[in-house]
Amino acid sequence: MGLDAFEDQLLAMLPRLRRFARSLSHDAADAEDLAQAALEKALKARAQWQPGTRMDSWMYRIMRNTWIDTVRSRTRAAETFLPEAAGAGIADESSRIEVQVGAREIHAAMNALPDEQREAVALVLVEGLAYKEAAEVLDVPIGTLTSRLVRGRQALMARLGEAA
Amino acid sequence: MTDDELAMAYADGELDEIAARRFEQRMAEVPALALAVASHRALRAQLSNMFAPVAAEPVPDRLTAMLKPKVVPLRPGNRRRVWWTAGAMAASLVLGIMVGQFGRPGGPVAIADNRLVASGALATALDRQLASDEGATRVLVSFQGTDKAYCRVFSSPAVDGIACREGKRWELRHTRAADSAGQATAYRQAGSADPALMAAAQDMMAGDPLDPAAERRARDALWK
Repeated sequence: MGLDAFEDQLLAMLPRLRRFARSLSHDAADAEDLAQAALEKALKARAQWQPGTRMDSWMYRIMRNTWIDTVRSRTRAAETFLPEAAGAGIADESSRIEVQVGAREIHAAMNALPDEQREAVALVLVEGLAYKEAAEVLDVPIGTLTSRLVRGRQALMARLGEAA
Repeated sequence: MTDDELAMAYADGELDEIAARRFEQRMAEVPALALAVASHRALRAQLSNMFAPVAAEPVPDRLTAMLKPKVVPLRPGNRRRVWWTAGAMAASLVLGIMVGQFGRPGGPVAIADNRLVASGALATALDRQLASDEGATRVLVSFQGTDKAYCRVFSSPAVDGIACREGKRWELRHTRAADSAGQATAYRQAGSADPALMAAAQDMMAGDPLDPAAERRARDALWK
């Protein structure tokens, strides 16, 4: 595979990578930094990518590891920060407010999850990966993925249920 | 699997045919299971809808810029000219500074037979390091040029560039001051791929970059 195809595939993945970054990072600015850092790592590690294998799995793994390395070690000072994009694009004023409150609660609930549950939730529920694919990205057995995922979802439902 | 894991896997369509039918039979008898399935589906929809707009947003320039040389395909001749005209002044300035500052024994750059060559720690790194190795100097990509000589894109504390093997030396074919991409952020690490260097490497490359195994073989054969 030549360099063009590598770059083109990465480019096509950027919207999904940004979304994944946003679901991992509570803070929108952190998410942009994470996406950039992961992209830099991918460009640097391009020789390690095996053509013919799925680039999205490879790239999700790089981003997840970057997140573990950098963002996780930061202090979580932004507990009350509401990402500016939350609720964007909703025209009706009353429903806009409602959606914003919902978004804030979901962000807070996601942020309260242990990292290993949050990454499982982000990969399966936000990115739409199959359990097997998510387990491969995280390099854990599928049973481990399933149990992290169910615990993460129970915690989210409990928190969001309280808030409703 | 626990009941809740089963309900979740069923809601996500992850159960195989037989397990799904069996679960449906139980669900008909245990209303709590049907409720759990509905809750899992609702949560999935809620999260997926909430983050969907992020993927629909235009990607910020600072990300696409990292891939930009490939986004607008230029004919090789054009690309080379863009590289040289846009970078000529800066490049010659960089070379002047580098040779002035580092063109002495032990520095990363020396002049041999009127050619700019890697020296000292940079030469050692180019000789020995694989792209996967960490270090003050990083090798980003290794490849064979159209003349079959091995070339390596590197990033070092003082200078980034492309070096190609000539006899027992590494001739510097492209150089840029380190961090010339101007994308410094808290996360920027030494050794990031400079898009302009990657574009130049692509022009020089015959075929694909070396994979890790081929790179190791080339190194062990002393880049001959």
